[in-house]
Amino acid sequence: MIEVTVTLNAGLRHYRSSLDVGEVMPLHIPSGTNLRELLTQILQIPPNQVAFPMVNGIKCALDQPLVAGDRVALWPPVAGG
Amino acid sequence: MYYGYTGNILRVDLGTGTVSRELLELQMAEDFIGGRGLASRLLCQEFDPAADALSPENPLIFGTGPLTGTGAPATSRYVVVCKAPLTGTIACSNSGGFFGPELKFAGYDALIIQGESAEPVYLWIDNRTVQIRPAESLWGKFPTETESALRSLTHPSAKVACIGPGGENLSLLAGVVNDGYRLAARSGVGALMGKKKLKAIAVHGTGSVSLQDPQQFWKAALDMHQKITADPVSFGSFRAYGTASLVSLINEMGAYPTRNFQSDTFEGAAHTSGEALVDGILQRNRACFACPIACTRVSEVKEGPYQGRGEGPEYESIWALGALCGVADLAAVSKANFICGDYGIDTISTGATIACAMELFEKGALPEQELGFPLRFGDAAALVRAVEMTGKREGFGDVLADGSYRLAVRYGHPEFFMGAKKLEMSAYSPRVFQGMALQYATSNRGACHVRGNTVAAELYGIPRYLPPEALEQKEEMVRRPFQNSTAFVDSTGICLFTKFAITHREICALLAPATGLDFNFDRSIEQGDRIWNLERMFNLRAGFTCEDDRLPQRVSEPAVDGPRAGSRAILQEHLQTYYLLRGWDESGRPTRAKLEELGLEDWWGVCNDA
Repeated sequence: MIEVTVTLNAGLRHYRSSLDVGEVMPLHIPSGTNLRELLTQILQIPPNQVAFPMVNGIKCALDQPLVAGDRVALWPPVAGG
Repeated sequence: MYYGYTGNILRVDLGTGTVSRELLELQMAEDFIGGRGLASRLLCQEFDPAADALSPENPLIFGTGPLTGTGAPATSRYVVVCKAPLTGTIACSNSGGFFGPELKFAGYDALIIQGESAEPVYLWIDNRTVQIRPAESLWGKFPTETESALRSLTHPSAKVACIGPGGENLSLLAGVVNDGYRLAARSGVGALMGKKKLKAIAVHGTGSVSLQDPQQFWKAALDMHQKITADPVSFGSFRAYGTASLVSLINEMGAYPTRNFQSDTFEGAAHTSGEALVDGILQRNRACFACPIACTRVSEVKEGPYQGRGEGPEYESIWALGALCGVADLAAVSKANFICGDYGIDTISTGATIACAMELFEKGALPEQELGFPLRFGDAAALVRAVEMTGKREGFGDVLADGSYRLAVRYGHPEFFMGAKKLEMSAYSPRVFQGMALQYATSNRGACHVRGNTVAAELYGIPRYLPPEALEQKEEMVRRPFQNSTAFVDSTGICLFTKFAITHREICALLAPATGLDFNFDRSIEQGDRIWNLERMFNLRAGFTCEDDRLPQRVSEPAVDGPRAGSRAILQEHLQTYYLLRGWDESGRPTRAKLEELGLEDWWGVCNDA
């Protein structure tokens, strides 16, 4: 098992409504887990709901394997001006 | 017979007190569309760009687009165009709400205000009846108070555009406020309105916008409505979180300029995010005219030392008054935002100017005895105090009210000014977003994000994804799908925020049946290019050169922290390619052939004997 952290932002917050704004959620996941597996098997978030999967501040593909200490942050489609 | 357009331009001379009407030239409308393009074209025929921005000769032009007030989705926009008091460039500030459509309903495509009044006045436009009336009783009032008083004096449903005390005291940060809270904010257009002693324009219109082919128009409008309401951004995150949904994302990327661009990551972002706003102070949404998106936040701070209510704060305002000043207190940031609204001053330039002052103070260049109090990064109370003093031009606020360029120069550190062409940059770090670096440097009104928001491509993938750090193809991306495209959209009267769900094709599908003119996709690209080049020629005639297409040295140095530590803005390598793609020479001047291609050949002589 490895430990990563996850934050859920904007409309994805309702998947863990007990979390405070910006709260970092530590998770223990099997080694080799990729982003898609984290979403579907652990967080139960449909991947098509996630527009901006960020790992350590960089937008990543969903097949990217996670490593210990990764900081995962997730957003649905958002924009600003 | 005019369709889409009213066909009337209203001219008001505040010096002589005369009012007249002129017919809109259809060829000019076909070439420059309306809004930003048409008003800029009118400015160029009215005014020598080399003259002083606060001279009586500088006209203040209010322009609507052919789609403004039609009732198609998000057709609320109007523009304020003049030579900019803050920057000396061409200014085009725009805003939504209900004022622009009301101007159309009263029968006007544009309003040219020239000359200066000796005493405070307001303009009362009741359809075809136009009066210049005394405004002593309104002078000093906040925009919401002004609107309320004017409705008593004129018509209970009049729509109002006005200046706050900031415009009255000629703050170079002042904008024009409409519908109580919305600002045509940037470039200091409110200072020119204040110089003209024009407190407000109240409009009441009972007409409507004639459509050439109503059946086709409403079919296209319904199609657009369906696309917007099916879009997860336009009808999802914008409605739920407003523009502030970006705070957490841009910060996570390490692209959120902090403490006057000394860092690109703000440790207090979560406390000032869109999510914190929704959980903490949001009361409800508000929509502009005919807008299904309704991104406006109506918010209130009910407890503590920073109580207040108003609209916003928007993403850019949260950033400028928050991270840029190191302040992580949403209540204080909101209060600062509300005060900016009361005084009618631009939140971006105000926050950036205070951030610049904070850096000057912390580095010993700005003595406390001149400030009157310590002004450190992160000091929420000092931020709120400084904003209020800026609005009033009280104490050191008299210096702050002229913006960060003049402040930094005055205290011997021009390198602390974080902008281009005297306009402060926005909330996307040019160290990270290479498209924004080129956009900030080349934008005709100075370092602004909404003249070509390449973050759409560099983050959202609209029209296609180009990674923020990538350098290839950025020059063409900045030029055509962003700068030229935005010039087109800003000229139609539709809101830029529809662009997450629709393209030029849908906008042209509205323009053609609205006006009966030959608006199509290919022409829209050419029209955007023409408008961009006209603005460039105005700036060249005003004295700007390629030396002004620059960014602060600080952002050309590597980011010191965050996930993109080491990244830096790369500009010089792009500029020559960008000029070439634009049909400009190596010193950034449009060639004669380019001007002839766009029908702007008259400008060749104007600029080459300048």
